[in-house]
Amino acid sequence: MATTTATITLASSDLLDNNISVSNTATLTDQGNDTGVTKTTGLTRVELSSTSNVVLLDSGEAGGLELARNAGGAITSGKVFLQNLNDRGDGSKYVTVLLQAVVIGRLYGGDWMFLPWQGGAGNDLEVTPSSTTDTTLEYIVFY
Amino acid sequence: MATTTATITLNSADILSNAISLSKTSSLYYHNTTSTGLTQYKSGRVNVYVTGGSFDLIPALASEEASATNSYVYIVNKDTTAANYVNISIYNEVIGRLYAGDWMFIPWEQNDPVGDNGSDNDIEVEALIGGPQTVEWMVFTESTATILDASGD
Repeated sequence: MATTTATITLASSDLLDNNISVSNTATLTDQGNDTGVTKTTGLTRVELSSTSNVVLLDSGEAGGLELARNAGGAITSGKVFLQNLNDRGDGSKYVTVLLQAVVIGRLYGGDWMFLPWQGGAGNDLEVTPSSTTDTTLEYIVFY
Repeated sequence: MATTTATITLNSADILSNAISLSKTSSLYYHNTTSTGLTQYKSGRVNVYVTGGSFDLIPALASEEASATNSYVYIVNKDTTAANYVNISIYNEVIGRLYAGDWMFIPWEQNDPVGDNGSDNDIEVEALIGGPQTVEWMVFTESTATILDASGD
């Protein structure tokens, strides 16, 4: 097994009357036990230059990561990190991140997200850039 | 405006033949701006029981506000039993499982995407195993109207 950790720190000194300082570390494990995840896509970098919707992560059982997981069965405890490496620019350009057809939110230049993810049909992670300006994304999946 | 930052650090010395050490910080801004920090915030801590159904953890805006497109959500499962998890969904689409100790941080389209003031973008939680699991959450939003639901009485 491997030991992989993800730590988040949320901080603000002026959003509230008192400081916000929240930190949590998760150790990424297989489903339902303390065994560290052993598979990863590695850090992957893609460039997009159209406003077409694209499948970033194919979770389907007929292909994609679930098949790559070998005999482990469905992915139920995957974790995805995704970041938009573009400059923020004027703040108007982003990629819309979708779980199949359901919009999760917008990832603007400089933004990142980290979410749990499960395999199976209907769970592809997709992105739609807001403009034809080159958009550079990086992601890594642990599963 | 306020300055709020979110930082992630990912580390593994042994999942690959070379170490993974990655860190990223982002500032939480209004859309179409480069430096205007988000100014509305809510948070909570709840116990989630196995009931056979899901619950609204963070409801979408009660009133449609087309400009409120940039919000961020943090959720952590504070349970300590490895087998326990909660499903986190947007409306009826399961994003994934948050096992004990897991957390997530996502951008969130707080508006109802079809503009009918419905519940299509509610973030929902459901426990399918274990005793009550404690879940903590925070939402940072750019809404320019109140993010409170109107009183029904």
